[in-house]
Amino acid sequence: MDGQALVQAVIGLGLGARNREKVDRPALEVSPENLPALAKRLRQDPALAFDMLLDHTAIDWLAEGVFELVYNLYSTVHGHHLMVTTRVPRGSPVVPTVSDIWEIAQWQEREVFDLFGVQYDGHPDLRRLFLEDDWPGFPLRKDYTDEDMLRLPK
Amino acid sequence: MTVTIKTLNDLVRPPTAADSPMATQEYFVNMGPQHPIAHGSLRLVLRLDGETVRQVIPVPGFVHRGLEKMAEHLNPRQIIHLTDRMDYLSALMNNWAFSKTVEKAAGIATSARIETIRTLMAELQRLQSHVLWWGVLGMDLGALTAFLYGFRDREIIGRLFEETIGARLTMNYIQPGGVMYDIRADFAAKVKELIKYLTRVIGEYDILLSGNAILQERLRRIGILSAERALSLGCTGPVLRGSGVPYDLRKVEPYGVYDKVEFDVVIGTQGDCWDRYCVRIEEMRQSIRIVEQLIDAVPEGPHMVMKFGAKIKIPEGMHYGHLETARGVLGVLLVSDGKSDAPQRVHFRSPNFNNLWAITAIAPGWRIADIIAIQSSLDLVIPDIDR
Amino acid sequence: MTDRLPAIVERVPGGAILVTSLDALMNWSRSNSLWPLAFGTKCCAIEMLMATGAPHQDMSRFGAEVARQSPRQADFMVVAGAIVKKMAPRMRMLYEQMAEPRYVMATGSCAISGGPFMYNSYTIVRGVDEIVPVDVYVPGCPPRPEAFFWGLLALQRLIKQGETIGRPGIRRKPVLAALPQGITIEDIREEVRRVLEEENVVDVAHEAHAKIWTERVKQWMAKHLYKP
Repeated sequence: MDGQALVQAVIGLGLGARNREKVDRPALEVSPENLPALAKRLRQDPALAFDMLLDHTAIDWLAEGVFELVYNLYSTVHGHHLMVTTRVPRGSPVVPTVSDIWEIAQWQEREVFDLFGVQYDGHPDLRRLFLEDDWPGFPLRKDYTDEDMLRLPK
Repeated sequence: MTVTIKTLNDLVRPPTAADSPMATQEYFVNMGPQHPIAHGSLRLVLRLDGETVRQVIPVPGFVHRGLEKMAEHLNPRQIIHLTDRMDYLSALMNNWAFSKTVEKAAGIATSARIETIRTLMAELQRLQSHVLWWGVLGMDLGALTAFLYGFRDREIIGRLFEETIGARLTMNYIQPGGVMYDIRADFAAKVKELIKYLTRVIGEYDILLSGNAILQERLRRIGILSAERALSLGCTGPVLRGSGVPYDLRKVEPYGVYDKVEFDVVIGTQGDCWDRYCVRIEEMRQSIRIVEQLIDAVPEGPHMVMKFGAKIKIPEGMHYGHLETARGVLGVLLVSDGKSDAPQRVHFRSPNFNNLWAITAIAPGWRIADIIAIQSSLDLVIPDIDR
Repeated sequence: MTDRLPAIVERVPGGAILVTSLDALMNWSRSNSLWPLAFGTKCCAIEMLMATGAPHQDMSRFGAEVARQSPRQADFMVVAGAIVKKMAPRMRMLYEQMAEPRYVMATGSCAISGGPFMYNSYTIVRGVDEIVPVDVYVPGCPPRPEAFFWGLLALQRLIKQGETIGRPGIRRKPVLAALPQGITIEDIREEVRRVLEEENVVDVAHEAHAKIWTERVKQWMAKHLYKP
């Protein structure tokens, strides 16, 4: 399906999806509560058939006080891409997991938990991935300070 | 809301005395970060029942340098040299993935010569990477001779790179706007000689390892990964193609000059280690085919369309670009706020990170020796997992 | 046995000369059959451990062919690759498992100083000499195999000139085994002083940070190193 038609089709499903501006591919925004229902529909609907979650990551918008979680989906059946984003507040970043829909999400979500501190509700095994279990803080946040990190001298 | 946060100690426990002495006990063995076949520093905690593996818990993070955080302080040209050091066996393709994303974002148009040189270099690097994989697979399974043969041929391809690029491993060659150095006048002649040599040598590989009964026993019907499972686990590259899914970005979303050359996408039928092995051997032959078609037809033109000191302005928004490296799909998510030189966020969708977790699905039920075969056939490069 | 031998031999008339000759013999045989511990984390491992063992650049010409995977069987540790905080205690454990006399060669800029990841990385250890004592530094990113062999030859000279079987692992005198012809340590000191004073390239904040950094690495290792 073509980019714009795809976005319109998914918005037309009535699951709370909105267009997301300023992305170079079809992108939607959805609220965290509607995310599992939308994700399941995107996987199972034969016209959409997004069977691969290529990538899941997070972006820290410090000025707006949100984490934006990005899901890059791809369908090997139809060959179309879709980016689904959702915003959670930085103070209490809890979002439902999609690891029951795409298995790789289990570890991609662990990586985001490790580096940003976003907690996934219903995740089977939420542990830190790259850093030690007792590492203080979440490094990829914009307000992360670390005395060991050496800054480039001006 | 049920969010429970665990540590590794919650999963790993010693066997308890309450287990009956006549039944088997499960125990945990650590294939630690320093291990002959770790391919880097990957820790695998194995839950074993005798010799049979019941569960594999990979613990990555022993080479986690925080590249994505570092990239938030660097401009795009400086990030290229960080991409070299992720999956260093396909360093040129990593460079290309990032350059491609920046060019699409900033609207830089490259010339036909640039794209042809990039495609040629990428295919030669794919050959080099697969040759190394073959050698290391032999070494892991005990055939040390394969290691010597593989590295001999890797050096021969590496000499070509060294004459053009100047580096043996961390290339830093494909920049946004073109390539750093132009290819020399004798490049085409040398590549043609190399192709003749490699065609013969890949036949030798077949005789040496592929036809060997022991290798086939160790790879056939071991570690079967079905197509649905592979898709759900996010595997790409030869791992996915070995399970029968014809997803090759060079065909599906052509970049460079891949739409102008003829080559086949190699897929396997059963998804066992043998299929993944054969897919890579055949991919080497397809890479040779691509190089043969391109080497005589490199168009004239500039090798770099930007001045070296020029600032690259990336407009505000999210930009995504991806391509097919030797191990799978490498994607780059570049988020820019339009104002500063350094990006707001760079995320690398690394193929090895997504392929690693297939081992948790494939390995249970096999023996320890099979774990080694499975891990070799997945062809992981650990710094790419940890970034 | 070798540590009791000098005491026994010295009691024999003329035995002191024999000990020196034994020194020379032991040093010669040790340096020409060094067994590296294959400890590679990253890109340098491909160049320093695998490519140098391969046919084109052959490490076995120098006797260092037998690369053991277990530190108990290895002579020297080639640190090839960046060390991050998670790996640092494990590396120290490997170093402590090696038997004396043992040597460490830091190959690649990541092992010498943190390399390309020196700035803005939250996990990198800036130089393995914070964790283990290093004998030879081989710069490069990655160093060419020829540079690695220069380092290996320097290590061999280090052993031949500095070791004694009386007290193995402790060098009799500091050995500057890798200076080019005609340059002395005084020349180098003079040049560094001139550069510092005239071109003023020392970053004072960096230097101050370096002192705090060493202390913090010590604390980290004390907390995470597994003591059996």
